[in-house]
Amino acid sequence: MSEEQDLIEEDEELDLSTLPDDELVLQMHDDLYDGLKEEIEEGTNILLSRGWSPDKVLSEALVEGMRIVGIDFRDGILFVPEVLLSANSMKGGMGILRPLLAETGAPPLGKAVIGTVKGDIHDIGKNLVGMMWEGAGFEVVDIGINNPVENYLEAIEEHKPDILGMSALLTTTMPYMKVVIDELGNQGIRDDLIVLVGGAPLNEEFGLAIGADAYCRDAAVAVETASSMITQRRESTPAIPQAAA
Amino acid sequence: MAERNKRGRSGGGREARQAARSEPVTQGVPYITRKVPVYEVLDEEGLALIENNAETILQEIGVEFRGDVEALQIWKTAGADINSERVRIPRGLCKNLIQDNAPAEFTQHARNPERNVRIGGKNTVLVPAYGSPFVRDLEKGRRYATLEDFQNFVKLAYSTPYLHHSGGTICEPVDLPVNKRHFDMVYTHMRYSDKPFMGSVTAPERAQDTVDMAKVLFGKEFVKKNTVIVSLINANSPLVWDSTMLGALKVYARNNQACVVSPFCIAGAMSPVTVAATAAQLYAEALSGMAFAQLVRPGAPVIFGTFSSSMSMQSGAPTFGTPEPQLVLYIVAALARRLGVPFRSGGGLNSGKIADAQAAYEAANTLQHAMLAGVNFMLHTAGWLEGGLSMGYEKFIMDIDQAGMMHEFMKGVDLSENGLALDAIREVGPGQHYLGCDHTRTNFETAFFRSSVADNNSFEQWEVDGSLDTAQRANKIWHKMLDDYEMPAMDPAVDEALLAFIQQRKESFPDANY
Repeated sequence: MSEEQDLIEEDEELDLSTLPDDELVLQMHDDLYDGLKEEIEEGTNILLSRGWSPDKVLSEALVEGMRIVGIDFRDGILFVPEVLLSANSMKGGMGILRPLLAETGAPPLGKAVIGTVKGDIHDIGKNLVGMMWEGAGFEVVDIGINNPVENYLEAIEEHKPDILGMSALLTTTMPYMKVVIDELGNQGIRDDLIVLVGGAPLNEEFGLAIGADAYCRDAAVAVETASSMITQRRESTPAIPQAAA
Repeated sequence: MAERNKRGRSGGGREARQAARSEPVTQGVPYITRKVPVYEVLDEEGLALIENNAETILQEIGVEFRGDVEALQIWKTAGADINSERVRIPRGLCKNLIQDNAPAEFTQHARNPERNVRIGGKNTVLVPAYGSPFVRDLEKGRRYATLEDFQNFVKLAYSTPYLHHSGGTICEPVDLPVNKRHFDMVYTHMRYSDKPFMGSVTAPERAQDTVDMAKVLFGKEFVKKNTVIVSLINANSPLVWDSTMLGALKVYARNNQACVVSPFCIAGAMSPVTVAATAAQLYAEALSGMAFAQLVRPGAPVIFGTFSSSMSMQSGAPTFGTPEPQLVLYIVAALARRLGVPFRSGGGLNSGKIADAQAAYEAANTLQHAMLAGVNFMLHTAGWLEGGLSMGYEKFIMDIDQAGMMHEFMKGVDLSENGLALDAIREVGPGQHYLGCDHTRTNFETAFFRSSVADNNSFEQWEVDGSLDTAQRANKIWHKMLDDYEMPAMDPAVDEALLAFIQQRKESFPDANY
């Protein structure tokens, strides 16, 4: 029997349902790392069937697994195509958990609207950020390219995101980000949102000058920034419903 | 003083020699004409395979012409299959349109006719870098570019004999409103230099403004009959042309002005990770753009452009000066020759953040491969840093030093009696030295390229001179070039007319940043 067949046999033999909880969680970390979407969906369902709460599955199996992926991406061990597979697997698990999380009233990890600004049709970087946010467990609404301010306003109205992400590749289109941010101010909704901007011709100084909350130099930083800003925001915002009650 | 002037012989003594030697000998040529053969990496069979695959891409997968109804109509009339914005083009149609109509070589006229450049064939025109939002120098570090930086680089490009062209968006003056900055950029090229230049492409009306300003400078009739503007039209790989670029292309082509039809491709993200596939896709994209220009106006001059880099699959960042894009460059250069149009690629591409060793060796890799490949229009020859995000003052000086060396290399080997110098070998004989022989005395001054940047002294001498590194030496040079810069003369009536045109146009619509 060839070595290859050996490996296939071994994989076929691995039955996730036979693993105890702690080993299953570790296996799911590996499966996320290896970008195995079906296995992640299966593992998610098994943990739920064993009575795990959705937010426990999310934090211990999925978010922790993607945290490890993030570290090895940063350190140059994982390559971009591999991280996209991991993110897509995470998205698979989230597809199962999201409706359950909503039922329990647990706050979602985050929701983002992202799009390339008017006049600009470049979207590879924007797409990468969107996929990485999904990998971090966020719900991402991608409104595509060449977006006038109205598109952003409509998407914000409809989806009520935590984060608005804007991208531009051209020096001639990046000033439009300020047009959008100014309009958010005019509508009185600027402070309801975390505004993150990115794109090759930007820098931190520009991001702050146009009134964004942060400039994210790459997709990995976009994930870190989004996560920490959402956490910060929730910690600093008093529990209004209770206070009102 | 009067007494000293009476003294003297034809040699001129110390004073004359000092004056002559303070600057390296630079004999400016309007462009390089190569006497060294091109280098190729694929044989006939390999090139035919790539060409065949490009035709398959055009026919089967097609190219999107986005947001331009007129473009789709033009393609439909030409016999392409249109589905929504996807244009599928019958095999051979693009090639025939280009070969039947586009010039194999053309002249771009400068306001100083001695600076006219011949683009195509055995000629190479060296052009500054293009498109950086940032600039960098040793004193002020990295910062957004302003109009002053733009003017400085136009002055530097004018001052060096090793760049033949003033370039286009040498850096982006972000201190000016987006919808009006093209007036100042085009005017700067026209006024601060007398070399040929590139036009605005960021909107069709800005392209038209460029053409209209050229009419003021050169005269309407002259512009109608001659190419005075070359402009950069990028495809959005994979396989997309957008309305902004198509709009600018149509304006320039209709005015008989030249377009560099250039897929901008970072392999891994925007084309497959392999060399042969990237070459085929680039070729298909360029064919569709150049053929479209011929449909808009048969005979419109086009330059087959490619911008090829690869991606770091670990981080997603573009990489430069690496081996695979050089192989792509060689293949596409050969395809352009077979097609019969001028070719643009290369430049001092690199990912260095400062003018350091990485910046220099990655740039040297691209520049030298591009010269050997037979590039006719070398955009990005000088200044490029950080994957094009930054225009470096010191790096600009380092790159034009390389450009100077390429001038010498492309002269090839002198096989004349003087070049062969058998007499000198006879005269000196075994065991002696050549430093004092007739042949050396006649030829030494111009025999070897003298770098203005490199330091070839002993360690001790270098230390005495201040232990300066390359960037510090280059820094002194650009400051001196700007201090010594003298604006080329221009007919005051023409200058007034240009300024009046700009003022009238600027006042006719409000500033906007989009």
